Amino acid sequence: MLIIGEKLSIIAKRVREAMLNRDKSPIQEIATAQWKAGSGMIDANIGPAEDNGEDLMQWMVTTIQEVVPLPVCLDTTNFKAIESGLKVHNNQWGKPLINSTSNDPERFPILELAVKHNCQIIGLTVGKGGLPADAEERSSIAAEIMGRAMEYGLPLEDLYLDPLVLQIATSQDHAIQVIRAVKMFQEMNEPPMKTVVGLSNISNGCPKHVRPILNKHFFVMLMNAGLTAAIADANEIAEAMKEKQQIDDVLAGKTIDDAAKIAETKKTIDVITGKTLYAHSYLEM
Amino acid sequence: MALAAPKETYAGRVFEVTIGTSKTAVFGGENVLPFHKFDGDTPHKPVIAFEIQDVAPEDWPDTVKEVYGDAASDPVKWALYCQNNLNAQAIALRLISTHPDRENRSADDAAKTVKAVLDSIEVPLIILGSNNVEKDATVLVAAAEAASSRNCVIGKAQEGNYKTISAAAMAQNHKLIAMSDLDINLSKQLGILITQMGFEKERMIADPMCSALGYGLEYTYSVMERIRLAALTQNDVIMQPPMLADIGMYVWKVKETQASEADLPKWGSLKERGIAWEAVTAGAMLLAGAELLIMRHPDAVRSVQKFIEEF
Amino acid sequence: MALSGVEIFKLLPKTNCKKCGHPTCLAFAMKLAQRQASLDACPDVSEEAKRKLGEASAPPFRPITMGAGNSVVNMGEETVLFRHEKKFVNPCALAVEVKDTDSEESIKAAVDALRDSELERVGQKLRIDAIFIKEVSGDPAKFSQTVLSISAQAPDMPLIISTTNPAAAEAALEKIPGTRPVLYGANESNAEAMAETAKKHKVILGVYAANLDALSELTEKIKATGVEDMVIDSGARTAGDILRDNTFIRRAAIKKSVKSVGYPVISFAQRDDHMLEALVASLCIAKYSSIVVLSSIEKWKSLALFTLRQNIYTDPQVPMQVEQKIYSIGEAGADAPLMITTNFSLTFFIVSGEVENSKVPARLAVMDSEGLSVLTAWAAGKFTASKIAQFIQESGIEKEISKKELIIPGYVSILSGAIEEKLPGWKVVVGPREANALPAFLKTMN
Repeated sequence: MLIIGEKLSIIAKRVREAMLNRDKSPIQEIATAQWKAGSGMIDANIGPAEDNGEDLMQWMVTTIQEVVPLPVCLDTTNFKAIESGLKVHNNQWGKPLINSTSNDPERFPILELAVKHNCQIIGLTVGKGGLPADAEERSSIAAEIMGRAMEYGLPLEDLYLDPLVLQIATSQDHAIQVIRAVKMFQEMNEPPMKTVVGLSNISNGCPKHVRPILNKHFFVMLMNAGLTAAIADANEIAEAMKEKQQIDDVLAGKTIDDAAKIAETKKTIDVITGKTLYAHSYLEM
Repeated sequence: MALAAPKETYAGRVFEVTIGTSKTAVFGGENVLPFHKFDGDTPHKPVIAFEIQDVAPEDWPDTVKEVYGDAASDPVKWALYCQNNLNAQAIALRLISTHPDRENRSADDAAKTVKAVLDSIEVPLIILGSNNVEKDATVLVAAAEAASSRNCVIGKAQEGNYKTISAAAMAQNHKLIAMSDLDINLSKQLGILITQMGFEKERMIADPMCSALGYGLEYTYSVMERIRLAALTQNDVIMQPPMLADIGMYVWKVKETQASEADLPKWGSLKERGIAWEAVTAGAMLLAGAELLIMRHPDAVRSVQKFIEEF
Repeated sequence: MALSGVEIFKLLPKTNCKKCGHPTCLAFAMKLAQRQASLDACPDVSEEAKRKLGEASAPPFRPITMGAGNSVVNMGEETVLFRHEKKFVNPCALAVEVKDTDSEESIKAAVDALRDSELERVGQKLRIDAIFIKEVSGDPAKFSQTVLSISAQAPDMPLIISTTNPAAAEAALEKIPGTRPVLYGANESNAEAMAETAKKHKVILGVYAANLDALSELTEKIKATGVEDMVIDSGARTAGDILRDNTFIRRAAIKKSVKSVGYPVISFAQRDDHMLEALVASLCIAKYSSIVVLSSIEKWKSLALFTLRQNIYTDPQVPMQVEQKIYSIGEAGADAPLMITTNFSLTFFIVSGEVENSKVPARLAVMDSEGLSVLTAWAAGKFTASKIAQFIQESGIEKEISKKELIIPGYVSILSGAIEEKLPGWKVVVGPREANALPAFLKTMN
């Protein structure tokens, strides 16, 4: 499993300020922590980055790779910013990954970049306007993205399909569809297609103490479905791996000693699979 | 080949709620989707309450105002008119004048109005604040006390004021409306928080937030359908209180109930259009799962009642 | 049992020839699995695959198109019971009833009213979709004359020809060749003759039985004669019966794959009380009818029913959008505050509702962001500083306001500097994150 360390996002205040001030130390500190915790790649999310996006992405890539011997995931909708980031990317530590193309025509050209610069790319299974309703619609979009990738000359092993994780607090029904989609994507090619998710979006908007619990359980369930990669906090993944046996036991209906843990896991699995309706206080019910 | 009727049975059931004392109204109690009596029990028909205000309805469109005429000048007269002339099953008194941007009347004033109305009517009373989160917290507490022992409905408790309002409703033995933003998960969350205060879930009425035909109705429709399905299929007890659709206040401010036929000839008669807007909104809410409706125009109420009789 | 996309893919030629209009056989297979493509589009599919796929890919409700002109009505194809699961596909058609005993003038008036019923709402042109012509006279000649005259007056309008007399049906259909109407009126006693007529004229057959059981048997019998396209009527007339039968039909076809009721449903809502009729028609729209017959056209009734139909048939996955423009709320003068948000309709309804509540007259600039909410739109690059600046500039609002100040949603406070850069002379004020804080915020602005 490839963990793409996710903590470098413009949405986080500390990171945003560091980006604006071109202050390397918070960026490098976070990147190093993610690497030490087991990340195999670092995500650099600079948002739409309309102004100075090219500059910012170059600065992010070099700042990260100065201290961490890993490839970078270039995360932005800005075509030029990606291209300029790719120019300075040090490929000796692995192929960079572009996040992302999709079925939105505006995002098609990004596929060309992946071919031109021989890198990997995430194909987000959404189209223009409207979200996919279920795993089947996600697969249908995935097939179109795969077809387009072949036309552009991108080897399918360089394509990661992303089923788009939505917030459980507002789009609960999608959680199980994402897990199903991860299974279906793999069946769509031989060797199986690679898959990736932005893990923590599942718990976006949930209370702080609930977020890691949802993230960890969702991760284990996705891992069991055959997920190849996750954009996630490597520290949280390390914890999830420690708890995996326990979660798997509850999933398999085995009894384990820790009653509180069983309750937490059962409730969380029921929320993810849609057996009970999510509420912020679901663990207290 | 004969068709085996594909009936559905469910694990859950909606709570049955009785309001009022001398004359009562009962709603809820079904263990099936709305009007699906072919699947199981639908012991009670939905209840429609007439909306009145504690001040003359200056901000209502003429088409509704003129129905009430002088009766609406005083809340007691208005309530009696609804009860005696319109055969109202229940009355919903909105204490709109307590809103800080309106007359900003005090909680004491509101309590006096509540008492005066209760002293004159027999049908159940729903007591609504002005929807100002801070002010409602004091107004509804005073109103709940003034209505003590009359088994009223107090509303609406929201995320920002549910503690004081639910405590008052609990202390005075009333039913309570819990209103959340239009989101099924927030509706459940508020239900959990209120029951965690010790308020019995069997005394709650959920208001997932209404919307008017053409103005987000489909969101309310689907949230209500999903709430009812969660109550029935998942046997989720927090989702089992009956649901309220507070229709009049959303319907009678949209363009379709206000614009004259002279301005918009394509839209036809304003009078019928306004009534149809309220009636069709109510019909959709009933089909989605509302058991208690608050409405304004007597003709719309009559049509919806005839519609209910057809099930 | 429906096949998955990958299972279907295994039955396809795997040539990626693109003749079907899809980039690969896999993409085509996925569309087939969604029932968004027809196998006919593949020229190279084997007979064996056709047989296997034909059974698996037949939708629970047969797709049927009524009419032949520019205003056809598509029916069937539904796949769910509740609109939050997936979009309801083909909106319920509204038809108005006329009788062959009505006077010429009153028929003409009905056709005129129908033409005049067209109106536009949220960018869609809406109107009464079809005419239901009922034979009451008992006279085939009179009936066929009425049908012909209506067809001539409204040549594009889909027709539903209602008679239980095969001779009257024959006489009427001869007059309107190639228009693909519904011939409504097949029942247990006339089924064979009506089926023959329907086949001969290639029309859709409307089948009536007194209850669901009898209906299910009758459609099988008719299908055995070679008639494929039917619309069905279980005899339900009260709201309660319509709900019951329509629910059973929808469940049987979708959950139990019962083919004998997998056809579009025609319902009858006519009532003397037209307000009640509007409510019964609402039930038909929300609960699974494909055609609902009304007694009359009144503009207020049409508007309410069109709007409900639009609401119910909105795709729950595609956020409903409002038109991009600057909306005035209250009597907004030159000094009224100007706010901006995205065009997700729920965002718009909630924000404009809160502004109304505040009683502070204001302007709300609603920007096309493909119906996404504020934060999502920003992340997707649809609600960015340069796009906001461009919209404000092109709107020309500058000329109407006294101070150039723009309030942006708190969620995108990060954009304030960049917008000021791109909108010289403007001041950007960061508003609250949630709409419910707007009234308090607007009051402090005043």
